[in-house]
Amino acid sequence: MASDSSPANNHDGPSSPDDDSMSSPIGNTFSSPGNPRRRGRRSSVATPPSRRSSRFATPEPTPTPVTRTNRRRRRSPDPVTTPIAATPSSADEAPPSSDGGEFGHPDEAPPMFVWGTNISVQDVNAAILRFLRNFRGRDDASVEGKYMMAIHHVIEIQGDSLEVDAHHVFDYDNDLYNKMVRYPLEVLAIFDIVLMDMVSRINPLFEKHIQARIFNLKTSTTMRNLNPSDIEKMVSLKGMIIRCSSIIPEIREAMFRCLVCGYFSEPIVVDRGRISEPTTCGKQECLAKNSMTLVHNRCRFADKQVVRLQETPDEIPDGGTPHTVSLLMHDKLVDAGKPGDRVEVTGIYRAMTVRIGSSQRTVKSLFKTYIDCLHLKKTDKSRMNAEDPMEVENGASTNDEDITHDYEDKVEKLKELSRKPDIYERLTKSLAPNIWELDDVKKGLLCQLFGGSALTLQSGASFRGDINILLVGDPGTSKSQLLTYIHKLSPRGIYTSGRGSSAVGLTAYVAKDPESGETVLESGALVLSDKGICCIDEFDKMSENARSMLHEVMEQQTVSIAKAGIIASLNARTSVLACANPSGSRYNPRLSVIDNIHLPPTLLSRFDLIYLILDKADEQTDRRLAKHIVGLHFEDTENSEQDVIDLPTLTAYVSYARKNIHPELSDEAAEELTRGYVEMRRRGNFPGSSKKVITATPRQIESLIRLSEALARIRFSELVEKKDVVEAFRLLEVAMQQSATDHATGTIDMDLITTGVSASERMRRESLVSLTRSIIMEKMQIGGPSIRPLELLEELKKQSSGAEYHLSDLRNALSTLASEGFVVIHGDSVKRV
Amino acid sequence: MVGREYDLIGNPVGAVRSTFEKAMRAGEPPFLVDGKDWGATHSIPILDRTTLPHLQPNTLVRYRGMIQDMLGNEFYVGAHKDGGTWTTNKFTDVSHLPSEALSDSRIWERRLLYCVPVPGQNIWAETYSDFVTSPCLNNTSPHGEKRQREDCADMDIQASDQDFQDSTCMKKMRENMHSSQLCPKERISEGSTSNSDMVPNFDIKSLPCVVKIYDTPESELKLNDVIEFVGLLTFDPKLAADDDTFDELSDGLCEDALIHLPPSKVPRLHCIVHQKLTSHDFLSGSLILEPKSSMVKGVRESLLGHLTSVLGNDELAAHFMLLHLLSGVHTRVGLVAVGKLSLNLTCFNKEILTVFGNRIKAAVANLVPFTMCMPLTIDHLNSVSLAPSKDYNTNRLVPGLLQLTEGTHLTVDETQLQTGTLNSVGVENIRLLKILLESQKVDYDFKYYKMEMEADTQVLILSEGKSNILPADVILPFRPQPPRVSDCVDMEALKAWRCYLATFRSLQHSIDSEMQKRVEDDLVAARQANRSLGSSDFSRLLTMGRLVSMSFGETCLSLEHWQMVKELERLRCERSNQ
Repeated sequence: MASDSSPANNHDGPSSPDDDSMSSPIGNTFSSPGNPRRRGRRSSVATPPSRRSSRFATPEPTPTPVTRTNRRRRRSPDPVTTPIAATPSSADEAPPSSDGGEFGHPDEAPPMFVWGTNISVQDVNAAILRFLRNFRGRDDASVEGKYMMAIHHVIEIQGDSLEVDAHHVFDYDNDLYNKMVRYPLEVLAIFDIVLMDMVSRINPLFEKHIQARIFNLKTSTTMRNLNPSDIEKMVSLKGMIIRCSSIIPEIREAMFRCLVCGYFSEPIVVDRGRISEPTTCGKQECLAKNSMTLVHNRCRFADKQVVRLQETPDEIPDGGTPHTVSLLMHDKLVDAGKPGDRVEVTGIYRAMTVRIGSSQRTVKSLFKTYIDCLHLKKTDKSRMNAEDPMEVENGASTNDEDITHDYEDKVEKLKELSRKPDIYERLTKSLAPNIWELDDVKKGLLCQLFGGSALTLQSGASFRGDINILLVGDPGTSKSQLLTYIHKLSPRGIYTSGRGSSAVGLTAYVAKDPESGETVLESGALVLSDKGICCIDEFDKMSENARSMLHEVMEQQTVSIAKAGIIASLNARTSVLACANPSGSRYNPRLSVIDNIHLPPTLLSRFDLIYLILDKADEQTDRRLAKHIVGLHFEDTENSEQDVIDLPTLTAYVSYARKNIHPELSDEAAEELTRGYVEMRRRGNFPGSSKKVITATPRQIESLIRLSEALARIRFSELVEKKDVVEAFRLLEVAMQQSATDHATGTIDMDLITTGVSASERMRRESLVSLTRSIIMEKMQIGGPSIRPLELLEELKKQSSGAEYHLSDLRNALSTLASEGFVVIHGDSVKRV
Repeated sequence: MVGREYDLIGNPVGAVRSTFEKAMRAGEPPFLVDGKDWGATHSIPILDRTTLPHLQPNTLVRYRGMIQDMLGNEFYVGAHKDGGTWTTNKFTDVSHLPSEALSDSRIWERRLLYCVPVPGQNIWAETYSDFVTSPCLNNTSPHGEKRQREDCADMDIQASDQDFQDSTCMKKMRENMHSSQLCPKERISEGSTSNSDMVPNFDIKSLPCVVKIYDTPESELKLNDVIEFVGLLTFDPKLAADDDTFDELSDGLCEDALIHLPPSKVPRLHCIVHQKLTSHDFLSGSLILEPKSSMVKGVRESLLGHLTSVLGNDELAAHFMLLHLLSGVHTRVGLVAVGKLSLNLTCFNKEILTVFGNRIKAAVANLVPFTMCMPLTIDHLNSVSLAPSKDYNTNRLVPGLLQLTEGTHLTVDETQLQTGTLNSVGVENIRLLKILLESQKVDYDFKYYKMEMEADTQVLILSEGKSNILPADVILPFRPQPPRVSDCVDMEALKAWRCYLATFRSLQHSIDSEMQKRVEDDLVAARQANRSLGSSDFSRLLTMGRLVSMSFGETCLSLEHWQMVKELERLRCERSNQ
């Protein structure tokens, strides 16, 4: 306390002598316990003047509406008279009357205390004044205090409230903060009076009443933990608005008119929630009894609204239902929040008795609790999965001002997480922890979740940042589970099944509104998952037509529609995660991927990573699976799931990274990328081989860039480093080794994916064709007798000892020759022409 | 309190002894009754629709119900100074005090729970009337009936139980009388709140209750728990009249759920003691089956025989049915609920359904305390709300069909499903059922978000072909023979079966390392032989292993039982492939 206030005083000294003269004696009073004056005040705590206690006795300890009404009245803007003059009977008006004296001679004012406490009204008054005058931000070197500027600003804009950050109060004067939180009614009343006083000094003509709105308390509580000890305290809560009442006009001042003579009464102020109707006319000449009637349009009303706040789902314990609490909003706060908004509310927790009947003095033993709202802040910004978490382009545009401490805390935690050396492994482990093995696939999926950076060149060409992944695998390899998991994790994921999807269902659909006859465009799954991940299960079972729509989506990231009346191009910046079963339900390793999946190569090449999840008949894997499941059923499984990041954190991590991290290639990484790519291409031409095998295509280098960017994002790094590129190569290779292995040569062969036929296979076929041709040339004459393919096969085998030829191979070769017009095939006989 | 002839304070041991002796007279074997209170709490009258008119306000009552909703906390004047002396309001409803009294008062807190009779509770499981009305039970033994009477002899509502039938008639009459008495009162309260349509449409028979809980940690009572509350019944006719007089300030504030629960319809119970109930507590007899005893095997055999005869001599189906009835979620790992075994009996055509559908449902209802049936029709799916949802106007959780307590049995009849269009409600309902089957969870709809609640529901699906909508764990074609005409069920046997199911459903279970190795080997071999086996198949086999072993009252999987599982699975596959 002492240390808090003294530097401020020191700081204050040189800045303004006027301030100094006032604040330093008070500061001394406050900070030095040895001061006799201070002690004198304390000693009188035990015996507060009877005048004060009797005034406070009625409203304070009982949380009845009485107190509230009083307070409201005090705080209400009163253009005609200041509260000092208007309601001299009210308890809290005593301080301001002494207030004037306080500035000049603080010692002379009689010590006053808030009833039942040791809070001296003067001390609080002085503390508030000091705070308002002297508080400065941490690195704010301006002449005037932060709040003095704020007050000037409020006066300038004719505002009616001053927002006060409770953290500032705490930093400046810890004791004042505690008093404010514990006795908010009293302290805020003093606060308002001090404010009013200051305002009238600055601008005597300013008639509005400025209220202090406190926000950002040091501690915030949960609805569940509100208990009787919190009553009449200042609390801060988070929650979701579920209901708003309509605006209730609340009468503040009533005006009556005599029905007999037309005399208007003085405005009658609401006292303890009711208005005492004058029984006789106030005019001396009239004095008619029971003639006064309320004149509505000359009464003064204020807005009031009752809002219900509910706990947010994360605060609800297992097996509980959310709690709710009512908020009472006044004036400006009315309609500040709408149902569904997540808000943080600062207010005073109140309990109110329910009176029985309007005239009886008895009350029920039950209380209605509510929060008198002082400040309301929407916390949507602090939500990790905000509206558009996959937003990558203008992520940096969110204004930093509104970001709450809570949000910063979370971000700090995420950053801490990102600094862990094993974050990559850890995230991989946390991704679908109940799915067995498949670590490399999970790593690929992780990259997809984080995504690369989209790039738009000035020329208009754009490169997508989304990574598309295809999982091809045997049934029962938990592909679908992976898909569902990713769908859950991704903030805007759409899950569809290929079997049930039509082209329009995936892209967009033009429909005629049955009523108005207008054509409307209805978005399909891909458009809906713009900036998200579109998960397509059973990709192989999709109709040709629907699949062809994907071509555009996966490279250009748009969906174009040209239908009657509408020509549109919709954004579909979505990553596609598809999974497919091999054509013969089980993967046939002797066939190429194309033959296995039955997907057009054009589409296939648009996937950055194609994983083959093969169910190898490996006893070791089976055993591990069996062990895992036996363990699941019979042992306590706590230990198997250690170190796993939970789903909400993972989601937050991903969305934060997508939003805020935009990695760029470092020179080193770029070099490595070039080197690796060249290496990959060269690998096809292994020594002694004349066969041309293309091992990598330009599309692959784009994929690699995206993958390494995603990997940098995982580490929250703004720079793509060499190790990211190396890992990206590894991922691509792992995926390609499985999917693009030419089973004849054992090398990676992208031809396999792009055309469906590997280079070596093509070579073999060519040599077979030429061999067949030479045999036919040798054995048959033009127009001569026909020959059966079987005989040709015999001959082939004789000529090329060692090589295995099948009849089907031969038939292929023959049909090639037939298309050249070299032979004619009639059923089972071949004839040279 | 009637029937409290013993003095608990002056002679506690005597009281305990007399309760025990009474239990002995009722014919319970002495070695089986350890760890019970021999019906001491049973001497407290139960609160339900039929007993409500006869219970005095401010007396001790017992209420059994499921926590359907939590209404939050209530602040009340716990203590206040009344002319120099402190008085308390604990365990009382609203009392009226002069507003001056508030100056010297303490505010205390209590929790409000809204409880309803357990959904799907079968008649036999109701606390006092174990009068089984199943048509096939025409042969009730005289001994059983005698005990029923004794069980409810303690209740003061049974003024004269010379003739059981007679007293139920009386009760009905009294009920009618009472409802006519209630009418004017209701009109007052409803008319004043002008919310008569908001009053939950109570079942005629079921009685909801607002329970006020004092000084209990929040974690002890969870949504959908079945609890027995012992406490004070308060019924204050003044309270009902109060509702129209709240002043203008509270107008918006007291949009409490309580307004829509007039005390004239929903009694208040101030809880003193509460106890979580298991299905064991719903058995009327006090039979206890020790694990590993020879008795278990006998009961198992007879139950299996009973199920076989119910299922038209389909022994395989009976075996699976037994395992199904014993199943329950015991652990959750990630998204996987371990221990569930939902059963899908296929090949139900019209003919088989008419013969067996109701037989199966009735048989299950006779064995398990809580059962529900759901016809799966397009209309039903499109109209009914399966998931509970929050109504923010009344601030209440509106119950859905799937708000069930742990261990409820749900029979879904898919045979009635015709082709048609599902609207959004229907699609949502199908999704809910699917999630329930897959991970035993139900999404409660809180309008702005969904809240996942864990469930433990045994689901039996009757369908013509394999149900694609509802993915069950075990799919078994049903091969019945025409049933014998009369199946008489012995009351004693029925009790034994219920007890058997209740006891062994919650048995702890483990596996020793040698057996574990053996099981793993078998699984690996099975997978080597048939590559299409996945983790779900393994899971099913292990669950079955556990259940088979439990059905014999064993706590450890033995080789013999594992062989049995494999044999059952083999037979099932054989039948499925036919």
